[in-house]
Amino acid sequence: MAKNTKNRDHQAKKSMKINTIHRRRLYFLSLFGLAIVIASFLVMRALDKNINLYYTPTELAKQVISNKARIRVGGIVQQGSVVRTERLEVFFTITDLDHHIQVKYTGILPDLFKEGQGVIAGGYLREDALQADEVLAKHDENYQPPKGSRHAS
Amino acid sequence: MILNVLYSVVCRDITLYCQRRGEWVVPLLFCVMMVTLFPVILRSDAILIAKWGPAIIWLAVVLSLIWSLEAVFRLDYQEGILAQFVMSPYPLPLLMVAKLVAHGIVIGLPLLILAPLLGFLLQLSPAVLSALGLTLLVGIPSLMLVGALGAALTLGLSQGGVLLAVVVFPWMIPVVLFGIQAVMSVANGGALGAEILLLLAMLIVLLVTVPKAIATALKISLG
Amino acid sequence: MNRFNQLISPRFVYRCLNRLLPWCLSFSVILLLLGMGLGLFGVPPDAQQGDGFRMIYIHVPAAFLSLGIYSIIFCCSVIYLVWSLKIADICAKASASVGALYTLIALISGALWGKPMWGTWWIWDARLTSELVLLFLYWSYLGLRLSIREEKRAAKAAALLAIVGMIDIPLIHFSVEWWTTLHQGATLLKFSKPSIATEMLIPLLIMLAGFSFFYGTILCIRMRSELLKREWRSLWVSEIVLNIQLNTKA
Repeated sequence: MAKNTKNRDHQAKKSMKINTIHRRRLYFLSLFGLAIVIASFLVMRALDKNINLYYTPTELAKQVISNKARIRVGGIVQQGSVVRTERLEVFFTITDLDHHIQVKYTGILPDLFKEGQGVIAGGYLREDALQADEVLAKHDENYQPPKGSRHAS
Repeated sequence: MILNVLYSVVCRDITLYCQRRGEWVVPLLFCVMMVTLFPVILRSDAILIAKWGPAIIWLAVVLSLIWSLEAVFRLDYQEGILAQFVMSPYPLPLLMVAKLVAHGIVIGLPLLILAPLLGFLLQLSPAVLSALGLTLLVGIPSLMLVGALGAALTLGLSQGGVLLAVVVFPWMIPVVLFGIQAVMSVANGGALGAEILLLLAMLIVLLVTVPKAIATALKISLG
Repeated sequence: MNRFNQLISPRFVYRCLNRLLPWCLSFSVILLLLGMGLGLFGVPPDAQQGDGFRMIYIHVPAAFLSLGIYSIIFCCSVIYLVWSLKIADICAKASASVGALYTLIALISGALWGKPMWGTWWIWDARLTSELVLLFLYWSYLGLRLSIREEKRAAKAAALLAIVGMIDIPLIHFSVEWWTTLHQGATLLKFSKPSIATEMLIPLLIMLAGFSFFYGTILCIRMRSELLKREWRSLWVSEIVLNIQLNTKA
């Protein structure tokens, strides 16, 4: 008789302990789920505003950016827009096929820079044009032999 | 019931800090010294100071926070208190969070107040100062969580603070990166934008996941 | 179950590593030489980048394997923490320094490639920053392992560190898709056809295999010495040592 009650008590205690563990896991999982939901919402809101490496001309047209901030603008060099002067100055236009922005740069351009090539220019905005102190060429992920060579497929 | 336990942990830790005054005074002193050294190096060049000031203040806060955490964990480990925490029936992650809350009140809060004051010393603009305060408000808890994880992993080792800095450094990078970027974008005339939302998101995710990792690390370090 | 225990026993693993080592070494040397020869001389220059693109044959295998080796360390750490298999821990420990080396090679070769092509040695875009964080993750893993004297504690602490750091790997891979970066998008590991000509792809795959076999060689060497160090009390280690001594006597 005494042994039966002892066993029952032991069972009751064990089930209570398991319930506590399950309850704790449930709390933790729901807290974790809530955290993920809130965090994702915040990240979505954050990604709406610009935290990227560079602005596209379309984004520049939509926002007002002060001319104290150093920014980068990325896009493609518009065909026929490259003008070089004798003083090592280059004027060209960056476009993303919707909007475009004028860029002025003094210095040596990277080898890959040419019309139709991707480019990222960094500098300060001066009267709707970008006074660039850094021009970087961007290339894509395609690797092919030159057209017209005997290797081209 | 468990809230009582957590409350008593927080009270106990704060009382201990009041007794061990070196624990919280020295990190604050370090922070002040590091930031005031900076204009001396730059010879009061106002433009450079305005440009680098926020980053230096952030770094000083980060370093003092991390080293103070290391000292706290080491002392508690030596006195056997951490072993008692591990063996207690209450959930270890919550106990660790309570400990960090106490640490935040005693060291995080003074740093949070000190940083804009130091910024005022460096003659940063009020907008930058408020941005600094806001980003640190969100960043300091994240840094404390990550630093506590590193401290739990490197408990009782001879290298102490330097090893902790090496271990914690990769995880600190996103928080510090976005924090400094947020302040710099305000310094450049923008508004406090996307970065602080990201910092908040990081804090929320860290708050839920890291305490469990700290508990596991403590159990590993204490054998 | 008994068969499995035999397969992961230190003695069996040691014998397997001994037999694998000469194969790994010879494959790696042959493949690396072949890949570099083909890459430098046997492949036409790229239409966009000219001869400068040939750095791909060092940069891409190193970067790819830096991610792959960290994933291996992550899997070994999970296995070790969950099932306490010592072999998994030894594998993770042996892989870490090769992973750090490959990450460094990827970063340096990338900088050497970027300066003539992009116009800058370095830029803080999402891809390069997260790869740098990976290097720091490797270094913090190695630093932690070096600093803790007790084996078991070092193994468990490092395993926890590796697991927490795993979040960087998908971040690195998808960084070029989620954010705008200077680094170009993925050429090979994407859901569409690889955007590289087949004759340029083959030396790349050869170099990838060569780098992998080199990793295998270093893994064999390090795992062997670690196994001997850890099992120094057991009979089979004494047999090996005595055999060597016997051979020199005879």
